[in-house]
Amino acid sequence: MKHLLITLMLLGIALPISAQKGLHINEIFEGCIIQKPGMHKTLIKGESLEPYKLTVLHTVKFTADRSCRDKVEALFSKDMGECLSDKDNLELEYHDGHLYYAVVQIADTKNGLHRYICYQCRIHAKEYDITLAYMEGKATLADLRKTFKKK
Amino acid sequence: MNKVTEENIRELLVRYLDGMSTQKELKVLGEYFTSIGNLPTDLVPYAQMFLLLGEKPKTPTAEALDRFYSTPTRKRRNIFLWPLLAAACIAAFAYILLTPPKMEENTAIAYVDGKMLTDKQAAMQMGLEALQEIFSNGSQEEQLSELFNEQ
Repeated sequence: MKHLLITLMLLGIALPISAQKGLHINEIFEGCIIQKPGMHKTLIKGESLEPYKLTVLHTVKFTADRSCRDKVEALFSKDMGECLSDKDNLELEYHDGHLYYAVVQIADTKNGLHRYICYQCRIHAKEYDITLAYMEGKATLADLRKTFKKK
Repeated sequence: MNKVTEENIRELLVRYLDGMSTQKELKVLGEYFTSIGNLPTDLVPYAQMFLLLGEKPKTPTAEALDRFYSTPTRKRRNIFLWPLLAAACIAAFAYILLTPPKMEENTAIAYVDGKMLTDKQAAMQMGLEALQEIFSNGSQEEQLSELFNEQ
């Protein structure tokens, strides 16, 4: 009985930790690809995102070398391939055979919220400035474009 | 039977202290210490010890035995504890799993070069800027076409 209780307690601790989005790009957000000191990361949830019809916004920015860029691109492409909701719900742009810009709507959450993964990679002095974002919310792709596109 | 001398007794005591005494030797020692009144000073403690060893333990009276057996023994009551404990555990886990964590309701955290920003507004701004950057600078071709159309 004591062992069972301990197991249940550990399970209770482990569940919230493992309740991640189940995406390959989580490795990047968690700092497994790029060392945390070189990252600019934000995690926003809740009321403050209501005006944007979002509930979760997770962004990360960093500068990477070529091999790192390739890893990030590969992880993003895997998610794109595995979780794409609809072929029409994505915007992609390639430069020199590499992903330059992507906004992809992936499968909705269990609660029916839309999920998006975004990627941008800009070449800057032989290095790559990469911005990644993960979003959850009721906003459609058109809403996001309208809200966040600078005029 | 040969008369037991003090010298014999000292030898037997040495054997006794070494744990080598036979039952017969123990009997000799016991009889000697109970019969001899005028002992050398160093043997007096041994005489007291053998007197105590020779005493038979008193058997408890029938009344005392009755009282002992009639004392009610405590019944173990923890039989009902396990279901209660199990129910408490289930309730606790149901609460943990079914209640959404409050932290997720309102969070705005930013990490810049591994350092956490406590300013929620700054975190929010960083996150939104990252999104604007992706959505605005994503498609260069689109931007160019927009620029030419405006002109």
